[in-house]
Amino acid sequence: MTVLDALQTTLADEHAALYAYGVLGARTSQATSPELFETMTAGYRRHRARRDQLRLMVGDAGGDPVAADAAYDLDGALLRPPQLARAAAELEAGSVEVLVALVAQSSGSVREWALTEATWSAVWQLRLGSTAETWPGAPELDQP
Amino acid sequence: MGAALASPLALAACDIDPPSRAGGTAAPTPPPPEDSELVAAVVAALVRARSVVEAATLSVPDLTPLLEPVATAHAAHLEVLAGAVADTDVPAPAPPTIAGDRARALGVVRRSEQRLLREVRRGCVGAASGDLARVLASMAASTAQHGAALADPTTGVEGP
Repeated sequence: MTVLDALQTTLADEHAALYAYGVLGARTSQATSPELFETMTAGYRRHRARRDQLRLMVGDAGGDPVAADAAYDLDGALLRPPQLARAAAELEAGSVEVLVALVAQSSGSVREWALTEATWSAVWQLRLGSTAETWPGAPELDQP
Repeated sequence: MGAALASPLALAACDIDPPSRAGGTAAPTPPPPEDSELVAAVVAALVRARSVVEAATLSVPDLTPLLEPVATAHAAHLEVLAGAVADTDVPAPAPPTIAGDRARALGVVRRSEQRLLREVRRGCVGAASGDLARVLASMAASTAQHGAALADPTTGVEGP
């Protein structure tokens, strides 16, 4: 896999993440769950900026940025705030996994950016109710 | 797992193969020798951070439940990295003295974890081996999570 391939994979993941955050945010009530709404909104903005940055990076690497799908499969039963937070936390965990893979395939400024974003998503999982892990994004290292 | 990075950084071990979810990477190759110095620096930082957590726990036993996950992560991270450097390269720092005040001890640990995070990030960005960089990226993410949990034990994180 080339750096460009890894960037495209990460961009495709970001398209899906952004779609999911949009749906999860729309299902979050600002009136009854203001803190979760704020967390969802901040997460959406971060992923939107990440997607835009990835488009630029793909272009810089000589590629044509992969487009988003028209829609993505989401669990339609997620309606309660704890379910929504858990879904967003799982989304962030997936982002960490993709981003540390990009770290492995890149160097210099791209690697540093991927590391920063992976760290952000890992910490944001805590905001969404997860606990700190030993090997975020590299679950195979947790095997005894 | 302990031999995942065994000398000389035998990263070809399947333990640290990249995840399939992201499409995986090419077959891992042993990292070049220049990464040995970088690994030694991260190991030294981990050993220092571990000694700070131990000292804080000894000084303020009430902190044990809060710091235990941090100590567990340090141990796991060291297990993966320590085999990559010769025993003589692993420092044995004198245990720090931490005043028996909960807030102050917690502050010392938090600053220590921030120093550790900087060192792990530096190693990740500078690693010649992509597989090693991935391990260090995960380690940095873990360290950041634990640091955030210590920053606000009730919610886990500071602000966005």
